Amino acid sequence: MTGLRVAGTNQHYDLDPEIFGLFLDPLRKYSSALYESPDDTLAVAQERKLRFVAGRLGLSGGERVLDAGCGWGSLLLFMAREYGCRMTGISPAPRQHEYIEARAAELGVSDLVTVRSGYFEVTDLPERGFDAVSMLGSIVHMPDLGAAFRAARRVLRRGGSLYVSESCFRSTAAHAAHAARTGTQFVAEEIFGWGDMRPLSALVAGAEDAGFSVVAVDDLTAHYHRTIEDWLAGVRAQRERIEALAPGYSSVLERYLETANAGWGYTTKHYALTCRNSR
Amino acid sequence: MTIPVTDPEIVTTVTEIAAIELGVPAANLSPETDLREIEGMDSVKVLRMIAKIEHAYDIELDDEVVFDLTTIAGTTEAVRAALAERA
Repeated sequence: MTGLRVAGTNQHYDLDPEIFGLFLDPLRKYSSALYESPDDTLAVAQERKLRFVAGRLGLSGGERVLDAGCGWGSLLLFMAREYGCRMTGISPAPRQHEYIEARAAELGVSDLVTVRSGYFEVTDLPERGFDAVSMLGSIVHMPDLGAAFRAARRVLRRGGSLYVSESCFRSTAAHAAHAARTGTQFVAEEIFGWGDMRPLSALVAGAEDAGFSVVAVDDLTAHYHRTIEDWLAGVRAQRERIEALAPGYSSVLERYLETANAGWGYTTKHYALTCRNSR
Repeated sequence: MTIPVTDPEIVTTVTEIAAIELGVPAANLSPETDLREIEGMDSVKVLRMIAKIEHAYDIELDDEVVFDLTTIAGTTEAVRAALAERA
C-alpha cells in the first residue's frame, strides 16, 4: 500500500476551503466546466457541466450515486438538490467533509448526502449498491488504476454507469517524455503530492480490464482551458484575500494553473469517459 | 489576413511575441538566439509563446517544431511553412 500512503500526502485539497471559495464558482466545483457561448460565466458553465454529467450517467431522479473524489461536494449537493439522488461522497481530505456536511444542512439535503473519509480503491462500500459512480479529476491521484476501475465496477449494479473525467497526457509517448519534466513534477508533487496523467488509452484499458463497456468519450480540453482562465482571473482578483488565508499561496496557485493551461493540446488533453457495467 | 506574412515581418512578429512570453527585451533577441539558453526559460513559457504565435497566424505548427524549437529563425521558417501549407 505504499502508493496509497504517498497519495495521503495530497494536501492541496485539505487546505482551508475558503481559499477555493475565492476563485472557484459558487458551487466550488474544482473540475472542468462546459461552456456554450462566449458570454457564459463560470457559474453557468459549471451548472451546465453537472447536468451534462447527469445526462451521461442517465440520472432522471432518485438514483443512488457515488462520487469518488468528491471535493467540496458540488456534484453531491447538485444531484441531491436537482435530481433528488441519494448521494455518497468519498475522499481522503477531512476538511472537505466538514464543509459538505454544513452545506448539505444549509440546503436541506442532509438526508440525501453522506460523506465518507478514505480511499475509494480500498473502500468497503456495499457491492452493487449504486446506480452510478462519478470520478471527476480524481483517478489522476489514485496510484493503482486497475484497483480504481475494479472498485467502481464492484459497487455498481448491473447496467449502472461510470463517468470518469481526467487530464491525460496526449499519448503514451507524451506521457513518457513529459512526466519527468519540471512543470509536470511541480504540479504533481508540490501541488498535489501525487498525480499521474495517464493517457486516454490507459484509462480505456483500465475500464476494459475491469469489465466495463465504454459508451462515450468526450474531448473537454478547450472547456478546461477556459475554466482555468476563469480560475486564474479569480486568483488574480482575490490575491490579497488568498494571501491572508495562506501566505504565499496565491503565486503557487497561479503557477499551477498557468502550467496546466500551457499544456492543453500540446502535451495534455482532458477527456470524459463514460462506461457501463454491462456487456 | 491582417497580419504581415513576409519572412522579415514574421521575424518581427515572432520576436515581439517571444519577448513578451519569455520575459526578455526584444532588442536582446536575434533570429539566431538560442531560446533554450535564455535565463529563466522553461517549457511552459515556450508553449505559451507557441500558442500565441499559432493564434496570431491561425495555424497549427507540427509537433516536431513545437518540441524542438530553438531559434526565432527556426520558428519563422515553421510559420512560413504552415502558412504555405494552408494557402
